[in-house]
Amino acid sequence: MAKEKDNSFTKLVEPHLNSLYSTALRMTHNLHDAEDLVQDTLYKAFRSINQFQQNTNFRAWIFRIMVNTFITAYRKAVKQPMKISYDDMEEFYLYKRLDETVSLQETSKEEFLENIFDDDIKNALESLPYQFRLVVLLCDVEGFSYNEIAEIVDAPLGTIMSRLYRGRKLLQRYLWKYAKERGYIKDEFSQKT
Amino acid sequence: MSSAKKHEHYNCADIEALAQRYVDGQLNDYENRLFEEHLEYCLPCDKKIQFELKLKEIVHIKGREMIPDEKLKLKLKNLFTDLL
Repeated sequence: MAKEKDNSFTKLVEPHLNSLYSTALRMTHNLHDAEDLVQDTLYKAFRSINQFQQNTNFRAWIFRIMVNTFITAYRKAVKQPMKISYDDMEEFYLYKRLDETVSLQETSKEEFLENIFDDDIKNALESLPYQFRLVVLLCDVEGFSYNEIAEIVDAPLGTIMSRLYRGRKLLQRYLWKYAKERGYIKDEFSQKT
Repeated sequence: MSSAKKHEHYNCADIEALAQRYVDGQLNDYENRLFEEHLEYCLPCDKKIQFELKLKEIVHIKGREMIPDEKLKLKLKNLFTDLL
């Protein structure tokens, strides 16, 4: 009987292991904590599998457990959201900056995106305040819908959309900053940083 | 956002207001139709939206991490057998 439970749980969990691990790593910033977070999540999920209703969304269910585990374990460690200036939170931030860049006229903007280093994307994601990071990861990297994210994070839909909006704008701002630091952007910009 | 629905056609400001939901595939059929109709004749909006879609795709691909080795994968897979 116990073996049966073990097998069916393995089958349910296995397709999501990489997603859980990937999100855990982006949230905790290091391999060791990510492994611990996934382990804790799996233990809790295994113990409360009876509460999972068959034929409902297992992926969202187990992500919710991981998010709760993360928030409980890291609440003290997680810094208070830093004060962020939202002055540059305009729509299409990165597109507009690239559009103004004379030295990029020869290259297409899509080409610019394709040339961004994996590490720059990862660093930009990890630099986001954790509430924003979480929704951007769940939406853009893991492909959850707004309703699923609202369920996982236990926040209203409006809050999810607003965090996603701000998170993405910040992400674009970081990518723009990295591009300048790496010397992709050769123009002198005195105001837009 | 709901005010956008009053128009028979979307203007550039509507596109900007609805961009996030479009990129995330969260518009309803009616909104989606009006949105794409605008992109067909407005090149500047179309270019911006194509850029946002591409950026989302890049984040999706490059932001993901794979479990580094089979050993860890196996460990995670078998971890609850200890509980039995």
